[in-house]
Amino acid sequence: MNKKILVTATPLLFFIVLLMFLLKGLFSDPKERDSALIGKSMPSFELPDLMNEKVIHSETTLKGEAVLLNVWGTWCITCKYELPYLTKLRQEYDVKIVGLYYDQNHAPEFGQYADIPSIRVEVVDMTNRLGNPYLYNILDLDRTLSLNLGVTGAPETFLIDKNGIVRAHHMGDVNERVWRDKLAPIWNEMN
Amino acid sequence: MRILLLLILSFSSIAFATEDVIDFESKKQEELYRVLVKELRCPKCQNQNIADSNAVVAKDMRVKTVELVKQGKNKQEVVDYMVDRYGQFAHYQPPLNSATLLLWVVPIGFMLLALLLLSRRSINKEDGLSVAPVVEEDDELKALLEEANVDVKQQKGNS
Repeated sequence: MNKKILVTATPLLFFIVLLMFLLKGLFSDPKERDSALIGKSMPSFELPDLMNEKVIHSETTLKGEAVLLNVWGTWCITCKYELPYLTKLRQEYDVKIVGLYYDQNHAPEFGQYADIPSIRVEVVDMTNRLGNPYLYNILDLDRTLSLNLGVTGAPETFLIDKNGIVRAHHMGDVNERVWRDKLAPIWNEMN
Repeated sequence: MRILLLLILSFSSIAFATEDVIDFESKKQEELYRVLVKELRCPKCQNQNIADSNAVVAKDMRVKTVELVKQGKNKQEVVDYMVDRYGQFAHYQPPLNSATLLLWVVPIGFMLLALLLLSRRSINKEDGLSVAPVVEEDDELKALLEEANVDVKQQKGNS
């Protein structure tokens, strides 16, 4: 009798496990990745300011205060929708936001070069229209810092504490839900 | 039918047509590069290696792979470099650790279970345990058949 129950229950059990597995997949975000950098210090870099190439930023510029590092570009449509909310974060929660400008087109090995003056014009125009959350922008033209940070595209956001340790990495836009559920708890812990 | 097959085959080759021409110092380095771009996974894409993807990040990873290979780094060093930045996701061959243990253990477990069940079954047959009930059922069946025959005869007699 026991054996009979076991035989009938096994396919059912197997089915339930499969169902749960598939159900979980239905609600998981396929773009969600575990970042390899969390808990590690910010990779070292020396990159110019977007607006003035004579100003050089490095990992020490970011130390001393907790910052939100936002990877973005004017070519990126999601970043556009993110600008007003980031501006709100700067104004209402006093979040220190630094931009990492990610240019898609610059690829010297393929003979493509970015046009920096026109990027500057676009950035000024866009931030005037939609809000400017950035204290300053770091220009990562050949995307070396982005590669070292494990950036897969734009927008992406990092929370870096005052000692320069990466505490959070979010892929995709920052909106009210993401800020409340994911980033704000870490941000509050850091400050 | 043949034309259709030819069409399908000619389309499938497009996916592998993004090969860059790079000058390596040695044949060995070039081979290493070819292996690496097939084994490294594009972190932006759902399921593509960096050789097949045209995403910006895949291009950057290819450029970095060339640079590292030319520096004389071996395969494991290049893989580690990418995994340090993009996580285990960036490599198509998962290592054995606590997170991937199930992947390795479950198939082996299933095979062992199947072997166990099979061997148990054959032992049961050898014991002759499974034969006994058949005889009992046979007797019951004979009794039922006889009863039915009697019924039929009776019905014929009545009509």
